[in-house]
Amino acid sequence: MTGPMYLLGGFGYTASLVVAVIVGFLFGFVLERAGFGDSRNLTNIFYFRDMRVLRVMFSAVVTAMVGLVLLSWAGLFDYSVLLDYTLLETYLLPQIVGGVLFGLGFVIGGYCPGTAIVGVASGKLDSIVFLVGMIAGIWVFAAGFPLWGSFYKSTDLGRLTLQQVFGIPLELMVLIVVAMALAAFFLAGLGEKWAPYDK
Amino acid sequence: MTKGNEMTEPDYAKGFWNPYLAGVALGLVLLLTFYLMGTGLGASGAIARTSAVAAHIVAPETVEKNAYYQEFYGKGKKHPFMNWMVFEVVGVFAGGVVAVLTARRFRPGVGRGPTAGVGLRLTLAFAGGVIGGVGTRFAMGCTSGQALSGGATLAVGSWVFMMTVFATAFIAAYFVRRQWS
Repeated sequence: MTGPMYLLGGFGYTASLVVAVIVGFLFGFVLERAGFGDSRNLTNIFYFRDMRVLRVMFSAVVTAMVGLVLLSWAGLFDYSVLLDYTLLETYLLPQIVGGVLFGLGFVIGGYCPGTAIVGVASGKLDSIVFLVGMIAGIWVFAAGFPLWGSFYKSTDLGRLTLQQVFGIPLELMVLIVVAMALAAFFLAGLGEKWAPYDK
Repeated sequence: MTKGNEMTEPDYAKGFWNPYLAGVALGLVLLLTFYLMGTGLGASGAIARTSAVAAHIVAPETVEKNAYYQEFYGKGKKHPFMNWMVFEVVGVFAGGVVAVLTARRFRPGVGRGPTAGVGLRLTLAFAGGVIGGVGTRFAMGCTSGQALSGGATLAVGSWVFMMTVFATAFIAAYFVRRQWS
């Protein structure tokens, strides 16, 4: 049947929670098998020691991106539902500020939220401390919300895609991202040979 | 590590899947999620809800009046944990446990550089958590929700977020290199 199944009435709310646990299980399993339960495997990328994070993430993005287009060509996925209802909205400036803070948190703290959960499963004490820090950080965000609440929803560009910005078809945008990924994989290999911190 | 010199692969990096295959597997899980739900994967939303619930235990009125936490504790809303992403993150933990146990890889400890102290590492883990936690709220997501899910659907804000995260982390890496070396 055509996806996205839940949005097209394929199953109900209770079943969606079962789906959540199942896809979450697979997500956590693969994250661990990728090596993402250890902060060293996650941060080595920033020292050009091991570009595993780039390889895993970019291949995942490309696989899902190409898969959605193929499913849509085969008539198994209604891409317009995604574009009209569930595509993440762009809030340009808040997302840049959030990106700077998140990038700092990633290399200082050693994890991101999903990988920290897998870090806990792997017995890593630093991941538990990181998650406690995150909970505290969100308290800070909530406490200061009167100060930055209006900024939080500013520069709202709505559901905007890269292909709209560049005025090109979806399929061409997908090809460009695939090419970017291949270039990044090539550069990752050079980065590991360079290894500036280990000389 | 694939390096030209004699450096050997450290123990903590051994025994995992080939990164490209792991990436394809991760992408297929993400694709399955989009096919079934119409939305992608996430993680930080569940942590935000945990922070709301934890604060609510201590100071329920303050939380219910808080302009941000009203997103989770508004009138007539279900308990913050009755949420798709919270269930998903419970699955992530279970999947992680099964993966760790079946690979015989449960090694309690602190991930840090060979000469870095535990105190330094844990202090920075907490500080990074605080900063990153604030970041996830401004960005409305993290590496899962924004970078992976928004990235695969070509959302502009997600790509801006992803590029900003990595650019910042590559620059900031220099200043915290002691904990990883």
